[in-house]
Amino acid sequence: MKAAPLFLLVAACMPDPQPPPNGTPTDEWDDKLAEREVDYSSALRIAALRLTGELPTLTDIESVYLAPDEASKRTAYMELVRRYIDSPKYVRQMVALAKDVLRMGDNPDPQRPPELDSAPLFMAQVITENRSYLDLLTATSGTCPTYDATTNKFTAGDCNNGGTTTGLLTHPGMHEHFFGNLAFRRVRWVQETFACTAFPAEIAEAPIDVQGATPYTGKFPFTSIAGTANGGKVNFLSTDSVICANCHSNMNHIAPLFAHYDQGGTYSANFVVPLPLPGEPAVAMSDYLPTGEGMAWRFGVPVTDMASLGRAMAADKYIAECAIDRLWNWAMGKADIVDGGAKVPTATIEAEIIAFQAGGYKLRDAMYRVFTSDDFVKF
Amino acid sequence: MKTITIISLLGLAACAATDIEDPAFEGHGANPWTELEREQREGPPRYASRIHSCTKMRVATLGNLLASRGVDLAAQDDLAAGKIFSASAVALGGPKYVDRIRETTELGIATASKLFDIYVQAAPEMIAKLPTSPDCMKNGTPAQLFDNNNHCVASGFSCLMGMPASPEHLAICNETVKRANTPDEGKRLAVAVLAAAAHTCE
Repeated sequence: MKAAPLFLLVAACMPDPQPPPNGTPTDEWDDKLAEREVDYSSALRIAALRLTGELPTLTDIESVYLAPDEASKRTAYMELVRRYIDSPKYVRQMVALAKDVLRMGDNPDPQRPPELDSAPLFMAQVITENRSYLDLLTATSGTCPTYDATTNKFTAGDCNNGGTTTGLLTHPGMHEHFFGNLAFRRVRWVQETFACTAFPAEIAEAPIDVQGATPYTGKFPFTSIAGTANGGKVNFLSTDSVICANCHSNMNHIAPLFAHYDQGGTYSANFVVPLPLPGEPAVAMSDYLPTGEGMAWRFGVPVTDMASLGRAMAADKYIAECAIDRLWNWAMGKADIVDGGAKVPTATIEAEIIAFQAGGYKLRDAMYRVFTSDDFVKF
Repeated sequence: MKTITIISLLGLAACAATDIEDPAFEGHGANPWTELEREQREGPPRYASRIHSCTKMRVATLGNLLASRGVDLAAQDDLAAGKIFSASAVALGGPKYVDRIRETTELGIATASKLFDIYVQAAPEMIAKLPTSPDCMKNGTPAQLFDNNNHCVASGFSCLMGMPASPEHLAICNETVKRANTPDEGKRLAVAVLAAAAHTCE
């Protein structure tokens, strides 16, 4: 990869290359992609490890390797991937995957309700039962299931933490695990888990000078969130150092919904999260948003309660794309898309996203497509 | 879709601004220097996203692998592979969900070293017990790692590695056995080397 800096320097001083009319590769990276060769045996090993948590058996290995031609190898490979996804070990793997995606699990205290486990169990249930991924954001019941590894069965369970149920957005384990000042840690979890980006969540087309060291770049009007000048106890409109509003313009429009859950994850009609100021004053709506400003998932997407937030997120095309981003990165052995910065260009997974949306947002089906895709079987 | 203006990133004032479309960059607070360093190491996202990376094997998966190839994970001897494995979750990059930390995917030197320790200690168990593993039988015939002449056997090493053993694999294996002080020492090293090489990346 030592040629990359030179490539970038050259690229900076030259017009963007136009692809030749015959569609042949245009640079070294296209050449490298074109040089890959199909290797179903290598793909099988990775697929088995990811989908079942175990190496393929000798019989599986040889059924692909000893197949007489490429078409037969492909057929054998695809049959094995299907078998892996249909096996009980796949469920075990999806529970593990869900724990990593949600960063929750392994309830440390057996005396307490297993709520740290039930959130990833719900995600694993949604995947393995081939339900819509959007249930994670909209399900109105059954979000605290249990799982019996001996029978390989999930048993639906309600969370009973008060309030209405909206997928994982109201899950007591999530609220307990990500409890913190002004509920911002929960909001960050929602953004990074389901939208696949860190805050700031939205960037305006044109920055606005707010007399700070750097401009304001959010899409909401700068004064649409609370500051000490418009009734808030925390000055989110400060421009003294960083521009707080770049992130908080989105965070403050969402966080009030998450402030109703206490440290144990139980819903309250009042705000029950701390405000990190002397005297520990109670959090009020005016600490998030000025009078008259409504909550919103994104600029121009108002929400009024957790159910409407779930619906708004489910309707956001980037949520579906994020699900495929995460699936793709997991399949290809990449780091986390947020923590590890392993970005996936839309063009890479466009076909998978379209199929995911058209097929009812089913991740189990999407996994089969990804593990049998051209990119997965080429090395 | 946002653009990264590479010219401003690199401070090349001598040439006119040229925007390079980067579909992966959405302006969400990405540090341009981090992004540049990543591209230098991995290539642009349109390339890097389409090739397999060398992700660390999950701790649970490693345990399954060892057990399925003959290692006793319940062993209590401090130098037994199973004991080293069960006591090494942190060194192997396991998760700590109570602290909201997922399992690491990147393979560090410490983890790679620990993995090799485990494979070296596991090798004698694997040589003895891999042939009795149901995963390593075909039509009821067990796969052996070595024949009676201490030569490496393809089917056994295919089962150990989870993929067909190539002539190159077998050549390295046989050479390792041949160069060792004793056949047993050589067989142990050969199994450890090939297991470590095959399973460094998941």
